[in-house]
Amino acid sequence: MKKNILGKKIAFYIILVLVWQAVSMSNIWPDNIFPSPYEVAEDLVYMASDGSLFFGIGTTLMRLIVGLAIAIAGGIVLGIFMARVETVNQTIGSLVLGLQSIPSIAWVPLAILWFGLTDAGIIFVTAIGAVFAVTINTYTGIKNIDPHYVEAARNMGAKGTQLITSVLIPAAFPYMISGFKQGWAFAWRGVIGAELLFSFLGLGFLLNVGRQINEVSQVIAIMLMIMAIGMAVDGLLFKKIENKVMSRWGLR
Amino acid sequence: MTMTKLETHGIVKYFKHESHQLTALGGVDLKVEDGDFVCLVGPSGCGKSTFLRIIAGLESPDEGEVLFDGKPVTTTGPERIMVFQEGALFPWLKVKDNVEFGLKMAGIKEEKRTQISKRFLDMMQLTKFADSFTYQLSTGMKQRVAIARALVMDPDVLLMDEPFAALDAQTRDLLLVEMQLIWEKTKKTILFVTHNVAEAAVLGTKVVVFSNRPSKIKKLFPVDFKRPRLVEDENLLDLQQEILSELRPEVKKSS
Repeated sequence: MKKNILGKKIAFYIILVLVWQAVSMSNIWPDNIFPSPYEVAEDLVYMASDGSLFFGIGTTLMRLIVGLAIAIAGGIVLGIFMARVETVNQTIGSLVLGLQSIPSIAWVPLAILWFGLTDAGIIFVTAIGAVFAVTINTYTGIKNIDPHYVEAARNMGAKGTQLITSVLIPAAFPYMISGFKQGWAFAWRGVIGAELLFSFLGLGFLLNVGRQINEVSQVIAIMLMIMAIGMAVDGLLFKKIENKVMSRWGLR
Repeated sequence: MTMTKLETHGIVKYFKHESHQLTALGGVDLKVEDGDFVCLVGPSGCGKSTFLRIIAGLESPDEGEVLFDGKPVTTTGPERIMVFQEGALFPWLKVKDNVEFGLKMAGIKEEKRTQISKRFLDMMQLTKFADSFTYQLSTGMKQRVAIARALVMDPDVLLMDEPFAALDAQTRDLLLVEMQLIWEKTKKTILFVTHNVAEAAVLGTKVVVFSNRPSKIKKLFPVDFKRPRLVEDENLLDLQQEILSELRPEVKKSS
């Protein structure tokens, strides 16, 4: 069964590449508009061999990790406050919902004005795009905790910070994980978008360079890289954590 | 000589039901001696669980007061530990860490915690599950963990809210015997809410029958048979009949 699905997938991608190759060989469009998979692969190898690809990936991931870490830390704190203090929820909570609806890319002009063309600006865009998803999921998670957990914990003497760190956060963790996953998705889109506009190192920058020098194969190569990293983080990292949490928390 | 461990005076509790107010508890007076095993039975919805939660300090009464060792109860305390129907075990902790939770909150060092939890894991026959997570346990095992977690706190009073309601009959019968041994060994005062009259007759030194809403204590049966008692003990059958004859009209009124 599982083997069968994998077989289908492999067959699909082989056919996709073959069709791509066939279309590019048919010369409907010139090579510089519609490159062949071979040319794209060549560009990838070239960028890998001169190190620019790995430097770009490294730069982007660094910004992503820092931005996402800030978003997760900030989102958890804000989410807990909203869940525990009703006034915070009624006031800041409504603002959070509003801010959540702003696409991260719309923060770019502000980030450039505030931080200039720096790493800090890109990290700001990445973090602000992700923080509210983490906030909202943390809030929902804490609101949905089985009240018996909290009662039992209080009964056994847990209070204040102890109650938050030993009961509220772990009990809300299944929700928080989906918050992190959503946050990562927003951060990933945010960081690439910001890099395109800041044009200051990273994968987004390489995309932009590809456009400026009219190198479609480089653009496609970088896009494939962005997709591959996205799939790896979703499928390997988050799926594994999610499965583990779901089964341990008895939700599956 | 016995001492009064716990007293309630005129406990009244209102419930909001849609637009109107219901009186769940209509003035409950109960006196529990140190070392008593009191079983509370009553029609469903009569507020016996709420009564237990008020004693635990998880809810406050609208009128009346709870006295523990003569002092009024206002909040939860480690001397009155609740065992919930579904156990309320923490799924993110191993069995051992669940059992040690209260000790950890009290700031007791790991070495000492292990020493204490080992004793209760042994008592509840959980030693080989110490490193399991709760999703790997049967419902019966989970309740053993919940009881161990409560006993570790060394409370004066154990408050048990239908802890065996979700168990299959064999597991329940086993735990009914074990519960009597634990009570004899630890000398705890126990308040045990159940809807099962046989369970109450097997466990209790006293069985308290609640009336329908607004609930009061309708009748108190002292139970004095030798232990360990079994559900099928014939000398318990008469008592069960007596309890049932008090309970049945109340159940009728409530439905």
